[in-house]
Amino acid sequence: MVDLNVKLGRLALSNPVLVASGTFGYVREMAGFIRLNRLGGVIPKTVTLRPRAGNPTPRTVETPSGLLNAIGLDNDGIDHFRTHHLPYLRTVGTAVIANIAGEDEDQFVEMAAMIGEEPGVAAVELNISCPNVSHGLDLGIDPFAVERLVGRVRESCPLPIIAKLTPNVTDIVAIARASADGGADAVSLVNTFRGMAVNWRSRRPILANDVGGLSGPAIKPLALRMVWEVARALPNLPIIGIGGIGEADDALEFLVAGASAIQVGTATFADPTAAETLLDDLTRKLDEAGIGRVTDIIGTLRSNRERS
Amino acid sequence: MDAVAPLCASRRTVAILENEPVARDTFRLRLDDPAMARSIRPGQFLMIRPANGSDPLLARPFALYDVIRDASGIPIAIEVVYIVIGRGTAALSRLRPGDGVIAWGPLGNGFGPPPDGPVVFVAGGIGQTPFLALGRWWLGGGAYGEGQPLTSRSSSATLLYGVRSKGLAAGVGDFEAAGIAVELATDDGSAGHHGYVTDLLARRLERGERPALVVGCGPPAMLAALSDLVEKFDVPCLLSLENHMACGFGACFSCVASIRQPDGSVDLRRVCVEGPIFPSRDVVRPPTGH
Repeated sequence: MVDLNVKLGRLALSNPVLVASGTFGYVREMAGFIRLNRLGGVIPKTVTLRPRAGNPTPRTVETPSGLLNAIGLDNDGIDHFRTHHLPYLRTVGTAVIANIAGEDEDQFVEMAAMIGEEPGVAAVELNISCPNVSHGLDLGIDPFAVERLVGRVRESCPLPIIAKLTPNVTDIVAIARASADGGADAVSLVNTFRGMAVNWRSRRPILANDVGGLSGPAIKPLALRMVWEVARALPNLPIIGIGGIGEADDALEFLVAGASAIQVGTATFADPTAAETLLDDLTRKLDEAGIGRVTDIIGTLRSNRERS
Repeated sequence: MDAVAPLCASRRTVAILENEPVARDTFRLRLDDPAMARSIRPGQFLMIRPANGSDPLLARPFALYDVIRDASGIPIAIEVVYIVIGRGTAALSRLRPGDGVIAWGPLGNGFGPPPDGPVVFVAGGIGQTPFLALGRWWLGGGAYGEGQPLTSRSSSATLLYGVRSKGLAAGVGDFEAAGIAVELATDDGSAGHHGYVTDLLARRLERGERPALVVGCGPPAMLAALSDLVEKFDVPCLLSLENHMACGFGACFSCVASIRQPDGSVDLRRVCVEGPIFPSRDVVRPPTGH
């Protein structure tokens, strides 16, 4: 038996396979397709302080091996989340990580405090990186703002705090370091890359929002590079790898690059059973490789430029 | 916002039995999926993608065309009919019998029992596909899903079917064999009425015909024209929406449509889990698409 337990700061998980916010609905949508209690944890769709209608359609468009989305944080607000979704989420039998997005720092703090009072929540993931609402991304590209935000959230909420970072920055390490300095238990790397798709005949972008966030296999090498850079620069900061992870080999690549856990995202749209299949395959591959604990491979990637 | 996929929905890898051209750019795909064949009902859909590769990445939604039964009437396979529009359907059209696809379903609300009286289906483009199984079911010609014997049936079913050109009309013989009368409209006048398919319905309503129910499926402009027409003549009408979807099971929030709620408010609702069938009077704006 392979020991799959992982720890990210104060957050302990029974295995490193999580599902990414925005790709798993409010979790109840997936119950018919997947055994939820097998996952290391679930992260429901981002919740905001007040209800948001989201963006007009088309909200998504497929691109080569990728998905461009501009959903726009369509959700019914945190009150509905607490009274309606949390009671269900407490029954799914795995760690529930609430994902929140504020329009400003005060809203993040207010929502984190509200979630902190709720039983049955394992951690809070801060969406400071949604490319489809202006405030989220603006906040997540400024190291000073990120450090202050995470610090204030830590003071207001007793739960483990995960900062989900945008890749749309020049130096991801600076943002990750700011998160760590603010007291984040872990960082999720990465949210979607800003991109667009164009219909040249109509001279129009395809998304109603013109631009959106790119996810899926197309971004895996980009995300891996960022996980690797942050892991090397900040070896004590736990990382959750995200970006084009659909199969066990993808997950194992992120783990050796330095991630302590991973999130399956867009792959769920292409196959609703992807996360569970990945977990089975990952366990088998570790076993076949004679690796008794998943923690034994985390961060074991060595540079080809360090010959020894 | 608690809607989820039907309890019987599941994801399977299944084999293609047939993938045959039935009109210009249009194919009929038969899948070896007895479990789906037993549970799926008219108006429901399934998501299908090739079993291998990440490009195209996502599955595409397809309405049930019909359930195939063995000699004793046991459901053994399902069929969908699709037109090649983009990379997903092009990839599907290159698959051969024996190749695998990943499919999940049945999805969506589907249609309820038939109205008492004549029904008229109005289809544009590839929007005819839900109406073969529906017409067969409502005319009493076949049972669908588990444990749903009909207590009434429609007295007649007519398909008003609009396509750009005659060569794109797919499966007319299938509809006629099921007892569904077909009237064509073409944009170029190559067959049937030279003009909009909604003209065919307008003519009927203007001469005093009152179907018990009109059901529409097709492009946004056609659905908008249809909604105006049935409202003017006060005829009940259901629309089967074809909004762009990424997942089909309610997780991605791509396929939302503006739907009038019982309290009169308007809310964005996921077509995949709350639809795709809605009363036309509740569909506030025609769905947008590419």
